[in-house]
Amino acid sequence: MSEKPTIVCRCEEITMEEIQETIEQFHCSSREVKLRTRAGMGSCGGRTCRSVIDRLVEELGGATVSNEVPLSYRPPVRPVSFGVLGGAKE
Amino acid sequence: MKSYDVIVIGAGVIGSSVAYHLAKKGLEVALIEKGGIASGTSSRCDAVALICDKKPGIDTEIGFASIQLFKQLAKEFSVDFEFASRGSLYVCETEQELDIAKGYVSEQAKDGYDMRMVDRHELQQIEPYLADDLAGGIWTEVDSSMNPYKLCYAFVEEGRKLGLDVYDYHSVQNITLDVQGKVESVVTDRGTFKTKRIVNCAGVWSPKIAEMVGVHIPIKPRKGMVLISEKTPFKVASQKVHEFGYMLSKFEDIQYKRNVSELVEKHNVAFTIEPTDANNFLVGGHRAFKGYNISSEIEVMHAIAERAIRFLPKLKDINCIRAYAGVRPWVEDHLPIVSEVEEVPGFFIASGHEGDGISMAPITGRMVTQLIAGEPTDFNIDKLNFSRYKKADAVS
Repeated sequence: MSEKPTIVCRCEEITMEEIQETIEQFHCSSREVKLRTRAGMGSCGGRTCRSVIDRLVEELGGATVSNEVPLSYRPPVRPVSFGVLGGAKE
Repeated sequence: MKSYDVIVIGAGVIGSSVAYHLAKKGLEVALIEKGGIASGTSSRCDAVALICDKKPGIDTEIGFASIQLFKQLAKEFSVDFEFASRGSLYVCETEQELDIAKGYVSEQAKDGYDMRMVDRHELQQIEPYLADDLAGGIWTEVDSSMNPYKLCYAFVEEGRKLGLDVYDYHSVQNITLDVQGKVESVVTDRGTFKTKRIVNCAGVWSPKIAEMVGVHIPIKPRKGMVLISEKTPFKVASQKVHEFGYMLSKFEDIQYKRNVSELVEKHNVAFTIEPTDANNFLVGGHRAFKGYNISSEIEVMHAIAERAIRFLPKLKDINCIRAYAGVRPWVEDHLPIVSEVEEVPGFFIASGHEGDGISMAPITGRMVTQLIAGEPTDFNIDKLNFSRYKKADAVS
């Protein structure tokens, strides 16, 4: 790695190196990479980094899950306050 | 064909703990899982080990013993699972709830558990962001938290050091019995394994495994949705905080009606919040029978948020970044099944913990190991025996 680490998950500030090490150590799926490193668990819900994580898992030979979206999409699409979600009258 | 002393099916928190404890006993153990480690309920849940949400008696007794084991495991394991004993706080919305809570606390205190009532002023001291019109609450000193999927990873990694073999992405297709009807082998899509003992730890999926040996387990998946907050500098909860009405949503036999909106009532939503080590908050909670469906429901999200801002108005300004749902293995009598099945020698069940799987994982692993090693169990666990359903059938 160069002196400037490459950030893959901007929300949780997880570097490419951390993700590569996790895949190599545990031979794991994208989902397990997510749970172990928190990459993709930040405020954008992996919308920025998911394809990079999937790609790294594929290249480095982690566990692949056939016929499934490796990392699921979860609502809300954008962060929304509990006030708006809970119908607060303010 | 590879042969094992025991094969554990399901690598959620119960299966991971059972496999670890058996390997520690010196047995040759395989852990078989259709997906990855913690790929089902144990990564779609909350993150606590509590006694305050248990009924007085054996439920609380084994819950308490489990927390003591957690403390020991947190010291022994080299893998960190973010264990912390922070205590927990129940909040009572009304004087009537407070009265029910007092009765509950005195019963638990009589059994020697460190639970005490707090008045409305102390409530504000513990959690300054709580709404100022709440009647009081219960403080439970021993209640603890951890990261549920890291706990599974920890059990598996510590187990591997002791010789545990893990077969993830192996789907169990069949279980064969010998001529005497005893367990003989486990057939997966990627090979067959010989064994005389199987422990079915497949949680909500354990009825499907049991069907393979002609046994019916009355477990139903009970869905729960959780909302996650953004990281925030506002410490809206320093440990688990939940409404006492949560007890009422968990146990159908408690007759008490809360004054809540139609939406909250319809979806059986009761407020709960937990801080995580990553500085997010998990906000719940919800219970519903929707089969195995774990899709997020917008109405339930509305109901959870509505109930949450009633207790913690500060949350109005804090963002929800994500929602998820999982399914708990529910049984009618709210006690896990931990026993051998009489009719099928060598077939054990450790399942049906509903929302207490994380809480009860260490003690369940220990109890199963004692059963298999033929040692006396720490507790009289007759009430956890699978045969209770046969007796119930005979009566009805």
